[in-house]
Parts: sequence; C-alpha cells; structure tokens
Amino acid sequence: MTTPGQHKEGEQFMWLGLWLAVFGLGVGIMIGLNIPLVLPQAYAKYMSVAALAALDSVFGGIRAAMENHFNNDIFVTGFFSNALLAAGLAFIGERLGIDLYLAAVVAFGVRLFQNLAIIRRHLLKK
Amino acid sequence: MNKSIYISIILVAVILGLMMAFQFRTTSGVDRGVPYGREQELAVEKRQLEKDMNQLREEVDDLSAKLEKAGKGHSEASEAFKSELSKVKLYAGLTPVEGPGVEIILDNLPETSRPGGSTSFYTIKDDDLLKVINELRGAGAEAIAVNDQRIIATTEIRQAGNHINVNLTKISAPYKITAIGNAVTLQSSLEIKGGLVEFLSDLGIMVKVQAKDKILIPAFTGGLRFDYARPAQRG
Repeated sequence: MTTPGQHKEGEQFMWLGLWLAVFGLGVGIMIGLNIPLVLPQAYAKYMSVAALAALDSVFGGIRAAMENHFNNDIFVTGFFSNALLAAGLAFIGERLGIDLYLAAVVAFGVRLFQNLAIIRRHLLKK
Repeated sequence: MNKSIYISIILVAVILGLMMAFQFRTTSGVDRGVPYGREQELAVEKRQLEKDMNQLREEVDDLSAKLEKAGKGHSEASEAFKSELSKVKLYAGLTPVEGPGVEIILDNLPETSRPGGSTSFYTIKDDDLLKVINELRGAGAEAIAVNDQRIIATTEIRQAGNHINVNLTKISAPYKITAIGNAVTLQSSLEIKGGLVEFLSDLGIMVKVQAKDKILIPAFTGGLRFDYARPAQRG
C-alpha cells in the first residue's frame, strides 16, 4: 500500500515520535516527583486504573505507528477517553459495591500485552 | 501537521509520566500512612462505636430515670417506716402526748382529821394507785402517768417504805394521776356509785377527779433493757 520511500519516511517520523515520547515521559516523571502535591489516598485507586488505561493507549499508539496507520486525533482522544472511562468505571464500581475497576484492569492489561506482542513482532520482523 | 503530532505525543507522554509519578508517590506513601482499606474499616468501626455510644447514652438516661423512681420509692418507704416508728413509739409511751382526759389527785387526810388508830393505816398504798390505774385502763385510757411518771408496759408500782416507786422513781403524796382518753367515760367510771372514788374515800383518802380538755403526759424517760426477751421467729 505504501511506497518504500513513504514507509521509510514514516519510520523516521515514528522513531522521532518515540524518542519524543520517552523524553516527555521522563519530563513528566521528573515534574511529578518534584512538585509537592500529594493525591488523597482515596483517589489512588482511580488514578492507578487511569494510568493503566493511558499506558494502554500509548502502546496502542506505538503499535499503530508501527502498522503505519497512526492517527493523531484517535490517539489523543483515545488516551483521554480511556483514562477517564477507566477512572469513572472504578468510581462507579466503588459506589455500587462492585470491584468494577478489576474489569478495567483486566481489559486494559490484556490489550496492553496484545499491543506489546504486536510491537515485538514488528520490531523482530525488521 | 507533523508538528502537531509531536506536540500531542509529548503532551500525552508528559501527562502519562505525571500520572505514573503521582501513582508511585501515593503508593509508596501507603507504607508510611494508614492503608485506605484500613482507614475505611476504622471509619466504619467508629460509626458503629458512635451508634453504640448513643445507645448507651439512652440506656443511661433510662436507668437514671429508673434510679430516680427507685429513690423516690425508697424515700416513700423510709417515710412509711418513720410514721410506723412514731406510731409504735406512741403506743410504747416513748413520746409525750396530749389530749382530753382526767386528772385525779389522791392525798392523805390531814393527820388531825384521821379517824384514829395507826396513822400508817390511812396512808395511800401502792394498791390504791394500782386500783385507780387499773380502773382507768378499763375505761379506755390511752396514756397514764403518776406524778409525771409515764406508765408503760414495764412500769412497776410498789411500796417502798413511806414512798411508792414508779419507774424506779420515789414519789410521795399527793399523788396526781393523769390519764388521756374520753374524759366523760373516765370520770364516770371512777365516780360511779359504789365505785373506786367512794371506796377510796371510805378508806380515808382524799380523792379529787377533774375532767380536763387538755392534759400533757410526758414520755417515758428511763432506760429500757431487754436482756432475755428476743423476738420469736415466726413461720
């Protein structure tokens, strides 16, 4: 579907994006560790699920980039909506007395490993 | 176009990093603080204890009300005991009493007007006093005293030489016997034709009976000792 030149160009973009992502992650972690703000422990559960969802979205994005159908809008909206949905699910589960966040953990966890497996295959195929 | 992709990638990565860093910090803070589950457990326990406390408070109120009631009952009972005691004391002659009754004065005739013979023959004897008191009792006297010596259950009246002992106290003529009761009945029982007054007058004793509206009879003042008598077990 894609010409070799385009592919090569896309790969270049992809690697740049990956490095940028790693750089951004490092900056975010540095900021997060250094600002004197502590979340209440009651929110830790929601935060953890949201982080997992966000992680899944990021790996999904990397996988999409590997498969050359990366779409910025889908990536960004997916990132936020997944995180918010996961946190909301955990919150509702808490109110209903069901450990609904487990569903989010399982679903995102499975997808995370799937994405990782696909990324691994793409990297090994090269 | 590409720039916006990189910017969004960086933004997303920064947010993800922030979230992870926060998560690290909160979860590592767990060890230092109280775990969330434990906190909730304690909150539930606290709520339970507060409920218990409220219940116990209500119980305290209830019990103190009951105690108050019981105290009232107790004071009522002690009131009843007191009135019973004063009644018993009244019956036993341990309280001064007053009321209508008769006053009887017995005196020896002057020695000159005695009808001769031995002077001791015409003096008042314990027998005479006992007769009067017996008559008064028979007529329904409720309290009797001889020269202000209250006659009670253990009172003796006996001749001791020239005196008469009443309640171990020496008394001598003139004898004043006071009795509380129906004054008319008492007086008429003494002054009846062929009665005690006539009999005593025949013995050469001056007798004067006088009904009075108000007579004061003092309480028994001696000591009461019961060394042998014990209340018998009933039932």
